[in-house]
Amino acid sequence: MMAAGLVIFAEYWLMVGAVVALFFLTIGIDRIDEDARGAYIFRPLLVPGVLLIWPMVLWRWYALETGRADEAKRYKAVRGAYGFVAIGMAIAIGVIIATGLSIKQTWPAHIAPELLSEAGQ
Amino acid sequence: MSVKYIPVQWNPNKWIYDGIMLAGVAAFLWVFIHVTPEILSHERPINSQVHNARAFGACAFLMLSIILAIGPLAKLDTRFMPLLYNRRHFGVMTAFVATAHAGYILNWYFAFSFVPKWDALILSNTNYGQLLGFPFEALGAFALVILLILAATSHDFWLKFLTAPVWKRLHYLIYLAYVSVVAHISLGILQDQQSLFLPVFFIVTAFLVALLHVWAYLAERKTGDPLASAEGDWMRVCQADEIDEGRARIALLPDGKRVAVFKHEGKLSAISNACAHQNGPLGEGRIIDCLVTCPWHGFQYRVTDGQSPAPFTEKIPTYNLRVQDGAVLVDPKANPPGTHVDPVEVA
Repeated sequence: MMAAGLVIFAEYWLMVGAVVALFFLTIGIDRIDEDARGAYIFRPLLVPGVLLIWPMVLWRWYALETGRADEAKRYKAVRGAYGFVAIGMAIAIGVIIATGLSIKQTWPAHIAPELLSEAGQ
Repeated sequence: MSVKYIPVQWNPNKWIYDGIMLAGVAAFLWVFIHVTPEILSHERPINSQVHNARAFGACAFLMLSIILAIGPLAKLDTRFMPLLYNRRHFGVMTAFVATAHAGYILNWYFAFSFVPKWDALILSNTNYGQLLGFPFEALGAFALVILLILAATSHDFWLKFLTAPVWKRLHYLIYLAYVSVVAHISLGILQDQQSLFLPVFFIVTAFLVALLHVWAYLAERKTGDPLASAEGDWMRVCQADEIDEGRARIALLPDGKRVAVFKHEGKLSAISNACAHQNGPLGEGRIIDCLVTCPWHGFQYRVTDGQSPAPFTEKIPTYNLRVQDGAVLVDPKANPPGTHVDPVEVA
């Protein structure tokens, strides 16, 4: 049930994304990015991205259209999180591999396999 | 840099980069499939579909590991910087290889399922509460979704549209994808391996990636950009004579942004340290042909007004500065991107 729900959710997500892509790539993109005006061949390349992250697309489109986008933030590089990410990833890798090795089961070498039945003809 | 967007900004260097990458992928797959079945624990006959799935899976893991190693290597040694230049193509190719791996798995193990294949993949094992027999396929699927998001948002349009900081945060998901892939392998194929070769290859590679990132972080902390010190309303960056011709000194400002003070033809100019493209560290680059050149992807700006030369349209903020008793002082309030500031003569 859960699995089917996940797949249905993904299908609806992509359907909404397709509608957003249709409007954004034909109308919106020309309104918010001067470099896109008159450039059409690259637009199909953007379709998968819009399908996957359409809420972010709507949010940025709205922010740019209404002038609410804080353009000064564009120049504040994201560097503070690197230490957390680097150390967190290293710890996670160590723990996961140790866990994988600790639960690994091996067949005892001294036990010969037992033939339960003859192979079929 | 482009004025109008085009699908892919090819140039000779990118052709070479991609050619080497494609040749590497083909060589890896060929060696895996045709040369080394005996050392890969394939003593029991397996069909070509599973063999191909393993080959593409191993290739995707190695490619992801290389991608993640490039960043810290370039931080630790600038000779690795050229590898950074076209890393996005590497990432997109990795997403394709990982998709091929998933395709082989879905079309073999779930080929005749009475429910859709993706449903079957998620439904076939729901033992999420135990480690032994954990549904490791879900971890791989999760990582694949992340790789597809990153590949789908790799065009420069997304950088400008989302802004570099948001795009960077989104692309930080690569670390989560890698951890997920490590778990996918640890709880999956690692449990089935009788030979030592693949487990050793996997463990050494994953630990190397982890080690490089911790090393790069510690090195960055040790030699990181200094905090500018307050001198009234201005911030002291360094002494003027500490800046070499054509180079810059970087300082961290109270608002968390970085300023780069360049010396060009004996005069000083201050611009944002963050490139408009991917927020690359402009102050770690140098002035080439009278233009500040980003060390990451070669975007260029005039040092006096932070604008890219025509026909390019990128611009970055500039800062007012003055030299007082040999010290370089910067007004921490950035000028709007593209604002001209007269360069200051070094006294």
